[in-house]
Amino acid sequence: MKQIFQISWIAIRELIYEKVFYLLFSFVGLALILGMLLGQLTFGEQAKLTLDFMLGCAHISMILFSIFMGISLFQRELLMGSVSMLLSKPISRTSFLLGKYLGQIIVQFGVIIAMTVVIALTCLKFDGIQYTAIFQALLLIFFETCVITAITYFFAVNSGSITASIASFVFFIVGHYKAPSSGHLSGDSKLVKEILSAIIPNLEIFNLKTFASYGITISPQELGLSFAYALLCMAIFLISASLTFNRKDILT
Amino acid sequence: MNSTPCITLTEVSKTFKLGLFKSKKAVDNLTLEIPSGEVVGLLGPNGSGKSTTIKMILGFLKPTSGEILICGHDVENRWARSFIGYLPENPRFQKFLTGNDILRYYGKLLGLHGLKLSKKIEFLMDLVNLKHACNERVQGYSKGMTQRLAIAQTLLNDPQLLIFDEPMSGLDPLGRIEMRNLISTIHVESPKSTLFFSSHVLEDVETLCKSVALLQKGKLKTFASIDSLIANEQQRYEVVIQNLSKELESLIFEKCPQKTVAIGKSFSVEGTEKLSWVLSKLLETQTKVISINGQRKKLEEALFRANEGLSMSEVII
Repeated sequence: MKQIFQISWIAIRELIYEKVFYLLFSFVGLALILGMLLGQLTFGEQAKLTLDFMLGCAHISMILFSIFMGISLFQRELLMGSVSMLLSKPISRTSFLLGKYLGQIIVQFGVIIAMTVVIALTCLKFDGIQYTAIFQALLLIFFETCVITAITYFFAVNSGSITASIASFVFFIVGHYKAPSSGHLSGDSKLVKEILSAIIPNLEIFNLKTFASYGITISPQELGLSFAYALLCMAIFLISASLTFNRKDILT
Repeated sequence: MNSTPCITLTEVSKTFKLGLFKSKKAVDNLTLEIPSGEVVGLLGPNGSGKSTTIKMILGFLKPTSGEILICGHDVENRWARSFIGYLPENPRFQKFLTGNDILRYYGKLLGLHGLKLSKKIEFLMDLVNLKHACNERVQGYSKGMTQRLAIAQTLLNDPQLLIFDEPMSGLDPLGRIEMRNLISTIHVESPKSTLFFSSHVLEDVETLCKSVALLQKGKLKTFASIDSLIANEQQRYEVVIQNLSKELESLIFEKCPQKTVAIGKSFSVEGTEKLSWVLSKLLETQTKVISINGQRKKLEEALFRANEGLSMSEVII
């Protein structure tokens, strides 16, 4: 366990040294510009639109961060060769993988906290904002990024960076795609849909952006269920990634 | 000395798949025992399976068949790696960390901490002559400095087995001498540890190693002590003379290759019997002998002769 924390600490330092602050700055800049522009363009629905855009920005930035940083953090060590010195020590490959993952998740949590502060401060000028709904939406965005990061690690272990990015994006898009009910589909299409539903996590469970902009909150039980679903997805993808990584030949 | 071999490879093979129907056998039925406390060189031309062998010993590659033991422990068990210190061919570190940070990080991963770790880091930085740069980020380190830092991290846990993959690779002549001296110092400081290293430079292997293993096309061609390899070779002498008569010159040069040097003529004599014969002839004609020098026999020649059937380019790496 100590080894996992050591690896995650270095991963946190690496992410801080790299681009994490650029992401935050771009989010803050984008949020402020959108806040000001939408204030000029809309009437009556200004608060809802601003909030919806800001949550959308936070969502996309976090997903981009989890995919690109995940691949970079994991594959850089493999390509650079520093992994060979690390794994020549009595460290399991699972510890290496989990250490990197944990480090990235901690940084992502820090980033989402900073984004929450920015959104909350921007919303101070509007009346009737339901802050609990905003916090819930951002918490679920964080859960979703944890799942997407686990998916990214799974693909990063199994393939190159480009394939891993594309596959992770496909999972993200299909995970949010609401297909027509199976009743309208023919036999083969129905089967494909069922297989996809079984493999790809339903990421719409974590989408509370529209709810938040209308000030609708969800119950703690629903929040708990979303958390449990996120944990299950993370566990499945991380265990699969770990099993593959343990069998993989390291050529660097 | 510990009787358990430091590395035991038993009938180890590794096949890489190169597509659906193609495959390549990188290591073929390799059986090798590296005794504890020795400095052993692993030689072979490019593609001979040196790196694959090292990576299998470290557990990075899974052998297709066979068994690998490190100090008696199966390499599949990660604790077997607690006996190892590994220096890769091109060591790279996280560029945002300082030399001290790197050693602290690896030390903590090895279970070291507190004052013990701090003292160890100080000692190692001193040993590899990096004390002046210990608080600098490694992105500012030269190739030689990075290599020395990588050596320091191999010594953190006082390993029983040191595996160095091409430790002199990419270093300038001065850097190579420094590295060679450092390796010698390490072996003097911890004589019980085994040093197993691959190199393309036979001179380095000859200077540092006690034994040498030669791989060719994934197979072990030779594993012997350098002394025994060279002992089988005929001792060679270089004799420099002046004022040699024409008759004797043709008689001697028929049997020994010659060259003209500034002070006279020089010829190479192989073996003590031939040297006695040459000297008796020279004494008979009262020819002036300037010098007789025993020439150091070259490992590459010994390896070449030990592996009849190999071309010289396959032996000279």
